[in-house]
Amino acid sequence: MREKHKIIGSPVSRIEGHLKVTGKAAYAAEFSFPHLMYGFPVQSTITAGEIKSIDVIAAERSPGVLKIITHHNALKLMPRPPVTHANRMTRSNPVLQNTRIHCFGQYIGLVVAETYEQARFAARLVKVSYKTERPKIDFDENLKDAYKPEILNAGHPTDTSWGDLESGLKQSAEILSETYNTPIEQHNPMEPHATIAFFEGERLTVYESTQILGTTKEAIANTFNIPKENIQVLAPFIGGGFGSKLQPREHLMLTVMAAKMLNRPVKTAITRQMMQTNVGLRQHNRQKVRIGTEKDGKLLALSHEIVTHTSVDEEFIEQSGAISRMMYEVPNSLVTHRVFTTNIQVPRWTRAPGETPGSFALESAMDEMAHRLKIDPIEFRTKNEPSVNPENKKPWASRSVIECMRMGAEKFGWNMRNSEPMSTRNGRWLVGYGMASASRGAPCREASARVKITNSNKNIRARIELAATDIGTGSYTIIAQVAAERLGLPVEKIKVIIGDSDLPPTPGSGGSWGAGTYTNAVDAVCEKAKNELLGKSKIKFVNEPGITELMKAAALNEYQTEGSVKPSEESEKYSHFSFGAHFAEVWVDESLGIVKIPRFTSAIAAGTILNEKTARSQIISGVVWGIGQALTEESVLDKRYGNYVTRTFADYHVPVNLDIGNIEVYFLHEEDKTINRLGVKGVGELGITSVAATIANAIFNATGKRIRDLPITPDKLLL
Amino acid sequence: MKRRNKRIDLTKGEKELFKEFMPEDFIELSTYSVERRHFLKLVGLMGGGIFTMQFLSQHSIFAQDVNELTLYEMPTDVENVVKVTFKVNGAQKMLVIDSRMTLLDALRERLKLTGSKKGCDHGQCGACTVIVDGRRVLSCLTLAAACDRISVKTIEGIGRSEELHPIQAAFIKHDGFQCGYCTPGQICSAVALMQEAKNGEASYITNNIRSKALPIQLSDDEIRERMSGNICRCGAYPNIIAAIREVHTGKDGAQPWQYSS
Repeated sequence: MREKHKIIGSPVSRIEGHLKVTGKAAYAAEFSFPHLMYGFPVQSTITAGEIKSIDVIAAERSPGVLKIITHHNALKLMPRPPVTHANRMTRSNPVLQNTRIHCFGQYIGLVVAETYEQARFAARLVKVSYKTERPKIDFDENLKDAYKPEILNAGHPTDTSWGDLESGLKQSAEILSETYNTPIEQHNPMEPHATIAFFEGERLTVYESTQILGTTKEAIANTFNIPKENIQVLAPFIGGGFGSKLQPREHLMLTVMAAKMLNRPVKTAITRQMMQTNVGLRQHNRQKVRIGTEKDGKLLALSHEIVTHTSVDEEFIEQSGAISRMMYEVPNSLVTHRVFTTNIQVPRWTRAPGETPGSFALESAMDEMAHRLKIDPIEFRTKNEPSVNPENKKPWASRSVIECMRMGAEKFGWNMRNSEPMSTRNGRWLVGYGMASASRGAPCREASARVKITNSNKNIRARIELAATDIGTGSYTIIAQVAAERLGLPVEKIKVIIGDSDLPPTPGSGGSWGAGTYTNAVDAVCEKAKNELLGKSKIKFVNEPGITELMKAAALNEYQTEGSVKPSEESEKYSHFSFGAHFAEVWVDESLGIVKIPRFTSAIAAGTILNEKTARSQIISGVVWGIGQALTEESVLDKRYGNYVTRTFADYHVPVNLDIGNIEVYFLHEEDKTINRLGVKGVGELGITSVAATIANAIFNATGKRIRDLPITPDKLLL
Repeated sequence: MKRRNKRIDLTKGEKELFKEFMPEDFIELSTYSVERRHFLKLVGLMGGGIFTMQFLSQHSIFAQDVNELTLYEMPTDVENVVKVTFKVNGAQKMLVIDSRMTLLDALRERLKLTGSKKGCDHGQCGACTVIVDGRRVLSCLTLAAACDRISVKTIEGIGRSEELHPIQAAFIKHDGFQCGYCTPGQICSAVALMQEAKNGEASYITNNIRSKALPIQLSDDEIRERMSGNICRCGAYPNIIAAIREVHTGKDGAQPWQYSS
């Protein structure tokens, strides 16, 4: 059993909360500099083709305009090498180097002016003529060009199979074969992407709304051929990312270019409309699932075949079938991914890439099968629980999904469910219960940190420094908690400095690795500091000393040390995933098709919970995203022109306050001994997986209608 | 090439800005001359908060040749300028602005009050919510030119750093935010909402809109509806409701997180 923690796990309020509620937390666009200029991008109004000519005369004459950068006068940037898994985020991202247009809204210029109003106005005066080609947009029309990609996102294999699917299906007493569609979705963090850049001689400083400081720095270095050491990227606060701020984007490169050309600070804050066209999206996945079982519900065959789209410009494929490789024990399995290219912008990691669309298909299909077999959905899943990870045969470091289902069922009141659809009413509302189990890979990566301890008039304080980011996840607070715990100081005595690429490197926030990775490094470096101080001390301690005693014993007023930690070799021997179970009660208006979700319950097992308060908020956040995915979120493109019909919050509907009912979160005590020093598995993406399936399953229970195409809008329930 | 600790005099524009914002400090400035770094710290204090200060103090951000034209001065070639005088958080401000400038951009770009956020610039997300003469207003849909002689309260004017407004304190306690970007707008909305409830103002889901205006005790759904103009993509809605409910009812809300036993 792990040591008992006093501060780790406790619901400490966010240490940066005061700055956020008073408006003092400064995000990328909010740093002021004398001589600051404003950049406003010029966007392509076609989707495929060539720029024939750009007329900037009127724009240049517009008051306040300092420069209009197009492919005619852009700095020559480093050519872009072919994309690999390793270089996707760091390779050169050369903007304005040619006349080729591959997607709607692509940046084709930047207007730089003294004020925002002047830059925005002048951008509209730039006259562009194009040689237009017919864009590839429509899913069905381009499906025929689907090919087998070499590899998926994060190195997941394209295809896997074991046993013999077809013979497994033949032996099955019950067979299900259905197709599920998840639409294009946008991240839409509240803070639009923004950059401020300026040069001081050779040295470049960039304020950027980014989830990862190190790769942002490298991408700039590779694009502009600047030594990495000359670049500092700063991001003390980031207004949400959800994957859209993982990739160093084109507005950043445009801004750096302008700062270099004009030798003055430049700020570019993109618009909400550009957030739909220029910072990535979750792609439309068409997923065919086949399940074969014995009469008693034992799985005999499971296939998950996916077709999706990528950009003509870059191949990116989320691993939507990955969840079907690890979730259930099945002797005959087939999981495949196919992809075709389009003139839709390149897809990007979007909160739980792969698991989010994949879990909708798999967990809906499991519910359909349970209904056919007349077995309770929890019992059906429990029957097919794998003892090891079926994909690689590695043992689970921890897997508490059955406990989550049991616990969640009890808290939710699952026993009140009538498995017969349309059997519960409340006035004009049809009431239904649904559930699904959830999982998300729990990665941990190498990271480093520095600790500085000061003793001023017997007042011992510690300063923890690392190039981490807090995108709203609570990094500031959990880092302080771990340092406080390890050093034996109260949280108030810990100062956390993150958001600066000059600090010891970390892999940033993304893929649910942030919390476990940051705290692994902080825990290790605090222990290192204590051990080093113990070595300097002549006193022999009976009990384990805190940092205060150690500093006194070593007679030091200042001490500093730094270190980095890699995931252990032991951790490689195990499969690491977070698990959970979701339960929803839905009300469906019989005559209008409106869906309400008055209550939602999640039971979560994610190893050590670092902070009950912020971890709960993370799960709630995922559930809210899942509700949006289930009911409202969809990007619609015009098939003819490739432009976006949904361009703002008015037509891309994210949930608002009245859409969300009561959400209850329960954490299970769980120990993961190998993932990292503290046994932290991450909760940022687990919350969203399987939420849409949970809701779709509840809607089936309420109405008898099985909706397999998201989002479940009222029209689909009334047909 | 970094120039650390180099003393450079302020430009004319910076001096004027200083005069506009901090008349008392300006006397000190003009009498004793002030290091550029000190000036920047003060600018940071006004706008970016402690992190700005922290980072600015690490940088001497000035390039070798100092251009006299700064954004703090209104550039001379702006067409259709408008002069507006209005109160922001109790202090009188006089600005000469581009007629196209929104109140939000005037606050953020000219007055360096960056607490009000730009989330969509189209009145759809509520991040820019400020309180004008007691009512919630979307500052991104309000032209600064239309703000002559009004009184604006922004997040910077709600509570004091030593003493938070009860809504601010409740947002921290109930974790009513994650990334914090929508938070100033949420808090301005919540503060104005309290007054709307006291005034007995109806909402979309009020049952009897003809009832005499009396202080209303808001249900959770009433609070949800009245807060639905403020989008939170981090999905902190249940926590926002818990925070507002606690202040509205005056009852200490239970901490809702729990382990299963």
